[in-house]
Amino acid sequence: MKLTIHEIAQSLYLPLSTVKRWIRQGRIPIHKSGSGYVFNEAILNKWAAACNLTFSPPQKGIEKIQEFELENLFSAMKRGGVFYDLKGDDIPVVLESAVNKINVLSDNTKAKLYNLLLERENITSTGIGKGVAIPHPRTPLANSNYNPTITTFFLEKPIDFAALDKKPVFVMFILLCPSVKHHLHLLSRLAFCIRDDLFIEFLKTYPSSEVLFSKIADFEKELDRAKNNRL
Amino acid sequence: MRIFKSWRYPASLPLFRFDDRLLLMLMAVVVGICSGLAAVALNRSLIALFELLHHIRHYWWAFVLPAIGAALSSLFLEKIVLEGAGHGVPEVLYSVSRYGGLLRLRSSYSRLISSCLTIGSGGSAGPEAPVVMSGAAIGSNIAKFFSLNDRQRVTLVGCGAAGAISSIFNAPIAGMVFAIEVILGEWKSVNIVPIAIASVAGTEVSRLLQGNQIAFSHRQFNIDLLDIFACLGLAIITAAASILLTRMLRFMHGTSGKAAIPLWTRAAVGGCAVGIIGIYLPVVLGEGYHSVRIMIEGAFTHGLAFVALASLAKIVATSLTLGWGGSGGIFAPCLVIGSLVGVTYHHGIAFLWPSISWVNEGCFALLGMAGLISGILQAPLTGIFLIVEITGGYGVILPLIIVSAISTSLCHYIEPASFYLKELVDRGHFLRPGTDARVLSDLSVQEVLEDCITVNQNMLLRDFVNIIKISASNYFPVEDEETGNFLGVIHLGDIRPYLFNREMYDAVVLGQLIDSKIEVVHPDDDLAEVLRRMDENRQFSMPVVMNNKFVGLISKTKLLDQYRKELMVQTDQ
Repeated sequence: MKLTIHEIAQSLYLPLSTVKRWIRQGRIPIHKSGSGYVFNEAILNKWAAACNLTFSPPQKGIEKIQEFELENLFSAMKRGGVFYDLKGDDIPVVLESAVNKINVLSDNTKAKLYNLLLERENITSTGIGKGVAIPHPRTPLANSNYNPTITTFFLEKPIDFAALDKKPVFVMFILLCPSVKHHLHLLSRLAFCIRDDLFIEFLKTYPSSEVLFSKIADFEKELDRAKNNRL
Repeated sequence: MRIFKSWRYPASLPLFRFDDRLLLMLMAVVVGICSGLAAVALNRSLIALFELLHHIRHYWWAFVLPAIGAALSSLFLEKIVLEGAGHGVPEVLYSVSRYGGLLRLRSSYSRLISSCLTIGSGGSAGPEAPVVMSGAAIGSNIAKFFSLNDRQRVTLVGCGAAGAISSIFNAPIAGMVFAIEVILGEWKSVNIVPIAIASVAGTEVSRLLQGNQIAFSHRQFNIDLLDIFACLGLAIITAAASILLTRMLRFMHGTSGKAAIPLWTRAAVGGCAVGIIGIYLPVVLGEGYHSVRIMIEGAFTHGLAFVALASLAKIVATSLTLGWGGSGGIFAPCLVIGSLVGVTYHHGIAFLWPSISWVNEGCFALLGMAGLISGILQAPLTGIFLIVEITGGYGVILPLIIVSAISTSLCHYIEPASFYLKELVDRGHFLRPGTDARVLSDLSVQEVLEDCITVNQNMLLRDFVNIIKISASNYFPVEDEETGNFLGVIHLGDIRPYLFNREMYDAVVLGQLIDSKIEVVHPDDDLAEVLRRMDENRQFSMPVVMNNKFVGLISKTKLLDQYRKELMVQTDQ
């Protein structure tokens, strides 16, 4: 196989200068012939294993592993949708009726999710204050082959959610993510929006889904701008 | 056509590409033959020069002969080939430690000529070390010619040394052991096999050209238990003689260094002094193998006082020759001094306990040689095998081992670095493969450099917090906004309390948080030194700065990671 010396150094996760020095010193089974370098992959692999080094040459075909981009609030909220006038007087009832409305889930999963959400509420309330609650299962659902989803529910009447600031909750965002990483990412973004008191006032107007989404999109722009600035 | 073109790049031929053992064996044969020839050439020219000068030696002015020889040899080294005086083994060791065995082509003949002049004219030195240097240079240059890599080159340097010693002493095992024990210091089959082959080739060359003769004829000795106990005393005496010789050499070197005269006159002064000693005690002149032969045969008829005096005189003469700039090795003088010391000891114990029938004095001469070689080189195996081979005296192997071992240990106790290594160890240039010093000297600052985000001194803490969010680093180098000069480092650990205080976000600029007293590293610094400074200041990271500009960060974590990789790679072969 023909690899440049750069690619070899990358495949071994070593600085180029180290690899070049090793070739000169004859410590690595690569030979310099003229301006090029010759090696046998099997032997190099064996050598790397013996020296406790990792050797992973770039795969042909998959030129570049796609940069893993975490999904944003906007698409996750759009996927989940917005529901108004959710009925119920206490947490279990509200959660049950909310879970039933999440249309992406099968019946079986809904029952499971309901139990998980209740379990989570029993640890501490997900009411994070200012009348907002973010119920979520403690661990991602067993079948992690789904996209991150945030479903928004406006309650018919505010209920006591045992929130930290004792304020009755009027809006819930149910957060379902395939991994903890997604969960933290979305939770941090959602918390950023909720920290803004104007946004809470805005939510209290029970906005339509389009208006809500465009507001979220604005927030995200701000977040991304801040992120780009510091790069 | 391709085969024709690639003959100078044998390492890339398919046959040798992935296992160079066969290649090294073939090269070892070539190197062994060449260095063997060099050794034979020196030996022949020494004999020729000796015979040429023989008839004028009885003139009264003959004492200037060593002076002329030493001066000529010094002039030759200094003016023509531009090399330092001395016997060359430290140079070989240095190049093996630091430059992968690179040696100049001219080294392959320069020491031969200069030592031939010194010894042939009567200087007290040996032809072995120059031959080692020359063999090593031959090996190195053959490796260079065929574009071999450092590791292969070092092996061939060892092959050259082994071939030379094997050829000059007609002693293949001694050559092999010397190359591995003294020159390479690495007992691995990749080295041992080619070196063994080179030894065989070198010995065979010498046997073909000079006949299979053992340097010192062998006699049968009957060694009693009592004699073995007597060896303990001999070992102590030889150790003392070794130390005396080492110190004397260094003392003479220091004294001659202070004399404000040109190098060649220094050599002449030393040679002259040797010549004057030689008038009264001719035993000190030249390599002195003839007298060793007589002593082993037990035919050395002089009394105790004379032998003791001769030992001291030989030590002084050797120091004068080598310390004042003559060129030659320490092997042959060691053998002569050793045998003199052995005979002295024999006379001494025979005088003290006349009733006991001690083994023949020849046996003690032989043991004395082993004791001195082992003590000076601090290489017990070389001493043992050399004496066994050049005397054919396997019968004395037991006392030989005892004397060698004790002499080496005692000398090591008093002089931790042997005669060859002293200088290198003092300068920190003695690096055996797979040791901490070697690993650190092979790694460079460049290889452990880490990149990190730089900030400037006018940035607000608020912006900095955002940078911390996306960075994995704990250290943030600060550069001047205009000039880009390095100002200092912000360590996250130092400013942690402020990070959670939102009120400070807009009130603090980074210039106020800089630790500007942090020590910095230059890209060319030695990593051992960098680590020492890290330990001294209890730092885990240090910024690398060149020309006032920040280059990168060097951290213990990364260094240790790279260190281990380097160690694994160096020791796996």
